[in-house]
Amino acid sequence: MKSRKSNLIQIGILAVLGLAVILSLLIPQLFRGRKEPQLLSLSVMLRDTDSSGWTVAREGMEQAADELGAELRFLTLAAAGDSAEQEALLLREIEGGAAALVAVPADPEALSSALDRWLVVCPTVTLESPMEGAAGVVAPDNAALGRQLAAALLEDWTGGEVLLLDTAGRCAGVAERLAAAEAALTEAEVPVRRAETLPEGDGTAWVMAFEPSATQRSAEKKEAEGRSFALYGVGTTAAITAQLERGSVAAMAAWSDYAAGYLAVRRAAEAARGEEGELAALPFLILRGEDIYAPENQKLLFPIMSSSSR
Amino acid sequence: MNVFRRLAAKFAERYRTMSIQMVLSLSFTAVAAAGMVLMGASLVWRFSAASEQLVAENTQRVLAQANLNLDSYLRRMMRISDTVYYRSIKNLDLAEDDLTGDLSLLYEENRDDLVSLAVFDGRGELVAAVPLSAVKRDAQTAESDWFRAASRSMENLHFSTPHVQNIFDDPDYPYRWVVSLSRYVQLTRDGATGGGVLLVDMSFSGIEQVCRDVTLGEGGYLYLIDGDGELIYHPRQQLIYAGLLEENNREAASYRDGTRLEEFQGQSRQVTVKTMGYTGWKLVGVAPARSGMDSSLQPMLFGLTLLLFAIFLIAFLNYLISARISDPIRRLERSIRELDQGLAGVEIEEGGCYEVQRLSHAISAMVSTMRHLMDDIVRQEEQKRRSELEVLQSQINPHFLYNTLDSVIWMTESGQQEEAIQMVTSLARLFRISLSKGKSVIPLAAELEHARHYMNIQQIRFKNKFAVEIGARPGTEELYTLKLVIQPLLENAIYHGCASAEDDGLIRVLAYREGEDLLIDVEDNGLGMRPEVAASLLDGDRPEVGTGGSGIGVRNVHQRVTLTFGEGYGLTIFSEPDEGTLVRIRLPALSREEAERRQRGEVL
Repeated sequence: MKSRKSNLIQIGILAVLGLAVILSLLIPQLFRGRKEPQLLSLSVMLRDTDSSGWTVAREGMEQAADELGAELRFLTLAAAGDSAEQEALLLREIEGGAAALVAVPADPEALSSALDRWLVVCPTVTLESPMEGAAGVVAPDNAALGRQLAAALLEDWTGGEVLLLDTAGRCAGVAERLAAAEAALTEAEVPVRRAETLPEGDGTAWVMAFEPSATQRSAEKKEAEGRSFALYGVGTTAAITAQLERGSVAAMAAWSDYAAGYLAVRRAAEAARGEEGELAALPFLILRGEDIYAPENQKLLFPIMSSSSR
Repeated sequence: MNVFRRLAAKFAERYRTMSIQMVLSLSFTAVAAAGMVLMGASLVWRFSAASEQLVAENTQRVLAQANLNLDSYLRRMMRISDTVYYRSIKNLDLAEDDLTGDLSLLYEENRDDLVSLAVFDGRGELVAAVPLSAVKRDAQTAESDWFRAASRSMENLHFSTPHVQNIFDDPDYPYRWVVSLSRYVQLTRDGATGGGVLLVDMSFSGIEQVCRDVTLGEGGYLYLIDGDGELIYHPRQQLIYAGLLEENNREAASYRDGTRLEEFQGQSRQVTVKTMGYTGWKLVGVAPARSGMDSSLQPMLFGLTLLLFAIFLIAFLNYLISARISDPIRRLERSIRELDQGLAGVEIEEGGCYEVQRLSHAISAMVSTMRHLMDDIVRQEEQKRRSELEVLQSQINPHFLYNTLDSVIWMTESGQQEEAIQMVTSLARLFRISLSKGKSVIPLAAELEHARHYMNIQQIRFKNKFAVEIGARPGTEELYTLKLVIQPLLENAIYHGCASAEDDGLIRVLAYREGEDLLIDVEDNGLGMRPEVAASLLDGDRPEVGTGGSGIGVRNVHQRVTLTFGEGYGLTIFSEPDEGTLVRIRLPALSREEAERRQRGEVL
């Protein structure tokens, strides 16, 4: 009886050892399977007709995609700010199997309604404007930006009406900047006026633009027509920076587009993998021409582009 | 400490209950496994140390190669600077000659690496430059770091940290990142020499390309800093500039060349630093400390598999070997257990290794000796029993003989010739049957006849004061009985039952069979006795004093029967005062063959 029990114990020990051998053979296979996460397909939807204004942001996006194992598809609109086309394109991307979306919404409200039932299966991160149901927004504090840009204008203001270029359309982020600047100027008892375009031959001395394309266009117009109004705008593209350096732009609000692109894709990838994440407002600076070449501002305004991606 | 003691006690207790095979198997396996684990741990430790050393050496090698490439690149830039200075600037009088042509040639030859070549006079005014020939209106050249560094230390060449060159008026506003190589130069104008600065703007991409292609294994990377820790190149430079990432570059600037471990943001990293000769820049290679371990995870798991398999194999072999060693011991133990249980004919197998064979042989010899001793003891016991029987039988004969001869004497003296002759005749018959050729087991018929002769003698002696009926039921004719078992009971019935009774007595002897037993009842209608007295008559320890000899013959018969046939046989006495007494003899119903076998002593 004792002998039989001893045999059973020893056979049990041998079985456990044999099982351990088999497990130790299987574990590396399990690790191998886990080591390669699935490549995510992310779609990036702009609200412009080309992505030239988003070159730096795109660098940041590609850096994040490279680090997080994602594949990016960049989409632009046939007509700038066409929210209907944007919705249609995004829905097509979702149906095409996009794991997550990064969008610069032309009309956040309409886009939110259109994507409402898809936002759960295909998380969306927005740039510039917040959107209901989105997994996050990457943007500076738009109200603070508007107020500080207005404060920069007030430092220079010597009198006269300030023209506020209302190019926001239904873009909530841009509209928020405009509203905050308008409020700050009104509070300082500065006369303001809204206009969708820069008036021809107008005697306006002070102009504020609240998005990069409007800033660039206004500065180009000013240079082309030899006008003398003081322009306060936003953006960090090389063209706007050059306009700031030439004095065509008196001051501009700038932030790191590279960081914005990186953070947007990182958050989108996290959301696609069901991970939690938080996004803080992007820090921004109000720069004047003489500040451009300060070492820290150089890093912000002139991102070092990898020569391999150029 | 108590825990260890308890464990040791528990182990000792377990050890006592374990089989020898299990002890052997587990002990060998445990020792072998411990040895292998120790060896494995030692190998892993050495492998790990060697792996770390390998990573460090690899990083140092890669850094040395990167340093070589970077050095080569920077020397090329320095050669360009030397060429401009020694072959052009030194040979030209700026009042008469134009430097731009020479600069253009050099620029065209190296345009992939160069952004601009420019010469400034001591006040920072542009003397010549390619590819751009004008500086910005508000450019403050003399205030630039590279200009001041060159003016401050005239003997050396100075490399700036990466920056956007902003002095040239470029309608495209390309904002190129450059590393400026500047040096103090002597400019000749109208034969007079004056100071100036030669600027070679290297494209940052040249440095980036040299550093970018360097790989340091999984998770490893290289970055380049100046002497103050300012980043020159980092694979994730823009993330650091954007504030999304941090690097330990300021701390690394204080590191000496070599490899060390650092903790940064909760990560342990192996950092290797290599300082570049004349620039003071430092190449920093970073490899996560876990990298070596991660890369060796697969071989370690493979090693673990081998270790487990080896332990499994050893355990299996130990199981087989210990079973083979312990099997003869187990068989020996089983044989001894069977012996202990009293099984006859148990064979002690002498197998296994030498010691076990010797042990088996010794036990076998011991068992054999024990059996002989036991046989001797049995024989001695039989002899002792026979002696006791003979003594008991010899106690009867003198007793009876004395009584009978006393009666014959008495009859002869009183002239009763006939009765005396009859008594002597019966006595002769009685003795003939008593002798029975020395047999102790005789036919029942002979025993009954013996009883009749005895009663004849006693009837004569007691003048027929009692009647006698002796008989046997059918089925008892062929049976055998122990010799002289009835006569002592008859004697008791006469002397203690009928002799002192006032009425005529009746003594009955009846033999009959009950199952496998032969019963002989001897009954009288005499005085009888109390049942407790009757019960005490057979008690061997009962004192004889005060009983008037009553019971000696009865106890004698009882002891003889139980000695011969065992405890299940013997006498039973039933008696009541004034009712009489019945003594029942229970014997086995012996056939002739059994009686003969018993007589030969084959049955103990």
